[in-house]
Amino acid sequence: MKLPYLFPTRYKSTGWIVFFPTLILGFLTVLYDWEPSWLDVKFPTLYNDPLIFGNGGWFKLVEINILNDLLGVLMIVSGLFVGFSRLEDEDEYISKLRLESLVWSVYANYLVLLFAFLFVNGMSFMWVMIFNMYTILFFFIIRFHWKLYQFKNSVYEE
Amino acid sequence: MKNRIKVARAEFDMTQADLAKRAGVSRQTINAMELGKYVPSTVLALKLASIFKIEVSSLFKLEQEDWD
Repeated sequence: MKLPYLFPTRYKSTGWIVFFPTLILGFLTVLYDWEPSWLDVKFPTLYNDPLIFGNGGWFKLVEINILNDLLGVLMIVSGLFVGFSRLEDEDEYISKLRLESLVWSVYANYLVLLFAFLFVNGMSFMWVMIFNMYTILFFFIIRFHWKLYQFKNSVYEE
Repeated sequence: MKNRIKVARAEFDMTQADLAKRAGVSRQTINAMELGKYVPSTVLALKLASIFKIEVSSLFKLEQEDWD
């Protein structure tokens, strides 16, 4: 069974090259609340609903610091490349590992969210939601590659 | 489901790698099937039977637990 919708094999290495620096930079940005002024831009928005002041509305140009958006886009795209590029030796067993890992990561992701719903409150819950946007992809990548490692190192029974 | 891939492979003097290459899967997938850890798709089962020039039912056998 060959899975459709997978990226070509060469996208995987590109994904890894972008994924790790973005991950580290993302954590540092969150940790130090880093918003360099040279990345302040006016950016088109579909709908703007300002928290404190200003006019909201549809199709506006808003001034934002684009670093978070940039890192988010790079993280998602590179993560998708890492997780969903066809492997050189992709066969039906690897497709099975891929699908099982996907189911597993959805369960794991929502278990974390359920736990957070019940036991995390206030602003901390907003951070949980922000991280939860990426955890499904992280869980999938970790689980799939762990299973792949076990599979590739399965004992040779000649 | 039981299978006799390992026996058939021995009869044809093939390594797991040889069979994997002919069936278009990885060596580990053949290993997983021989160990009973993986039940192949119909297409792969038919390919294996074709390589060994036997019927699929001679290569794979259902067990009671498959009916439960």
